[in-house]
Amino acid sequence: MSDVDTIAVAKANTLPGMTSLPGEDPAMTATVVLGVIGADCHAVGNKILENVFAVAGFTVVNLGVMVSQDEFIDAAIETGAKAILVSSIYGHGEIDCAGFRDRCIERGLDDILLYAGGNLVIGKQDFAEVEAKFLAMGFDRVFPSTVDLSVPTSLLRQDLGRRAAFGGGK
Amino acid sequence: MIAVSIDIGSTWTKGAVFRRDGQGLTLDRRIAVPTTTDDLSRAFSRVLDGLVDGGDAASRVRRGEVRLSYSSSAKGGLAVAALGLVPEITLESARVAAYSAGAKVTRVFSYRLTRSDIRSLEAAPPDILLFAGGTDGGHVDSILANAEALARSSLDCSIVYAGNRALADDISDLLAGKDLVQVPNVLPSINAPDPDPAREAIRKIFLSKIVKGKGLDVIVGETGVEPLPTPYSVYEFAKLISARVPGWSDFILLDMGGATTDVYSAHRERPAPGTILRGLPEPEVKRTVEGDLGLRVSAEAASDALKGLVADALDRREERIAAFADYIARVSAAPDYLPEDEDGQAFDAILAGACVAEACGRHAGRAAEVYTPEGKLKLQTGRDLTGVTRVIGSGGWLSRTASFDPSPWFRRMGVDNRGRAVLLPSEISYFRDEHYVFPLLANVARDFPEEAAKAGIDMLVAQQ
Ligand code: B12
Repeated sequence: MSDVDTIAVAKANTLPGMTSLPGEDPAMTATVVLGVIGADCHAVGNKILENVFAVAGFTVVNLGVMVSQDEFIDAAIETGAKAILVSSIYGHGEIDCAGFRDRCIERGLDDILLYAGGNLVIGKQDFAEVEAKFLAMGFDRVFPSTVDLSVPTSLLRQDLGRRAAFGGGK
Repeated sequence: MIAVSIDIGSTWTKGAVFRRDGQGLTLDRRIAVPTTTDDLSRAFSRVLDGLVDGGDAASRVRRGEVRLSYSSSAKGGLAVAALGLVPEITLESARVAAYSAGAKVTRVFSYRLTRSDIRSLEAAPPDILLFAGGTDGGHVDSILANAEALARSSLDCSIVYAGNRALADDISDLLAGKDLVQVPNVLPSINAPDPDPAREAIRKIFLSKIVKGKGLDVIVGETGVEPLPTPYSVYEFAKLISARVPGWSDFILLDMGGATTDVYSAHRERPAPGTILRGLPEPEVKRTVEGDLGLRVSAEAASDALKGLVADALDRREERIAAFADYIARVSAAPDYLPEDEDGQAFDAILAGACVAEACGRHAGRAAEVYTPEGKLKLQTGRDLTGVTRVIGSGGWLSRTASFDPSPWFRRMGVDNRGRAVLLPSEISYFRDEHYVFPLLANVARDFPEEAAKAGIDMLVAQQ
């Protein structure tokens, strides 16, 4: 069954007041904030991500390109988002993303999921190194530009389901 | 057909008769008497009787023989406290809605109301609390916390809830004991503000509650006509001019008084290639009010806020700066003071110029240039008024002062303290509302929109 079918079935089976199983309903309509961070104006991948996450059942608040850390956080607060998906395509991701997690905590988003993806650093660095760097910065998951996008959508669903089940998140 | 228009201001109640002949409106007669603050209807009746020949003006209005429209900004107008979540997002959306409704925003609150916020609201309640926060289906916790805090308080002003719709029922329950009106969200989704429902609710509360007492209800009883808040009416007028008068789709309108400076701008954003818009989308007509910028009551606060601009205008000469400070101290205690001497007049002009510059600077958007390897990009927030070159000056001092030229003041607002360009025009054409008829024509526009819009522009005096 494709992603789309799974969602349709899950929605049909979920009635108001019904408790949901981990990994299922809570993530289905969860709001996620999406954007390309910093002075980065690569717009194509952003549109694709918006589409893919929307089709996967998320409510996507797309801030577009050249988004600052505070704009991501402001939008996440107002929309009650459960996750922020940060893209960086032009190579300055490490500088632009530094301190993102701290800033979220500072502004009251204690439990938000942070994902990063794209061409996060300049040139060809080993992805494992890049991933380690971003995980250390407080991101929950990190993806290379070559990722098959069904991977982050299903991981996000899992991560949100797990949080709902274990009482994390609001 | 004659149209009678009256504006009840905090110090003067002004009225005019306009004659409608063929396609146009002409100004026939004007009267101003001091506003009777304890009972607004007395000054109003004097003006009305003075404008309508043949006696018993009120009943002739009721019989439809005379078209009457009027507005009020008495007692400083409608006080709204705005509550939002993120300052730049839902608080800003609430502020835009309140200003467009003709209110003055007396307090602003973001995130969670503290106990001392509540105490200060209780101690000096606004007319209306505009309660926003969260997009539809968005943020929950802080909004519920704020509703709970308000529920526990003794605050009894009107509350307009214009936040996350998903909480509508909770808000109804929590604020059941309050004077609560619920309207659609001022920001249903992050990039789509919707200020009009909140604006309409504020206007209705103005009519149903604020009009009571102060004698406005007496006027409604006698004439059968309802008032609008003056700035609400002027806002509609600005919209009308922009839509109907050829060549006037974009303009800035300044209305400066002793206590506040209002800026209206009509402008549709058309970002050039290479410009990236950030922040909330802007309304086509926007009003902002600066409560700390004015020529008399606010002169002290204004000269504090405008130190740099004023000092520059006085060539940074110590003795002139001291003389200016003396002047400000004197006039802020004397709301009706009109200088006879050259110094006083020069100081008024400097204060006025600086107020205009600062108020427009706060109203306009900002742009920062970002250098990328394939060139410069402009990162813009707010409205870009650099191409809006028509500026109208209205209100007591601006209407009166033929010698005032605001152009150099616009040029002073190059960059802000964060190094971003202030998006104001550097060359302007200035037009003066010589007889201060804008508020009066704004009222008439309810009955004769086309004619009033045209008359407003025709009556302006272009600066040489
Ligand atoms: C088109 C393009 C441009 C256009 C952009 C037009 C526009 N407005 O979109 C222009 C000419 C303006 C441009 C400019 C620059 N570019 Co360019 N550009 C490209 C190019 C050729 C294609 C980008 C693209 O659209 N890809 C298609 C989309 C679908 O893929 P994507 O962007 O990678 O996004 C996908 C994935 O990364 C992933 N993803 C992204 N974010 C996230 C987030 C999460 C959470 C997840 C799960 C997944 C994910 O999913 C996306 C969708 O499939 C790439 C090379 C390439 N072949 O990728 C270079 C490239 C991205 N550019 C590059 C560079 C260096 C620049 C410039 C700095 C210099 C220059 N002149 O080339 C400037 C920067 C301008 C700026 N301020 O941003 C480099 C980046 C190097 C690096 N990071 O190591 C690249 C890789 C070229 C290269 N090999 O050197 N560029």
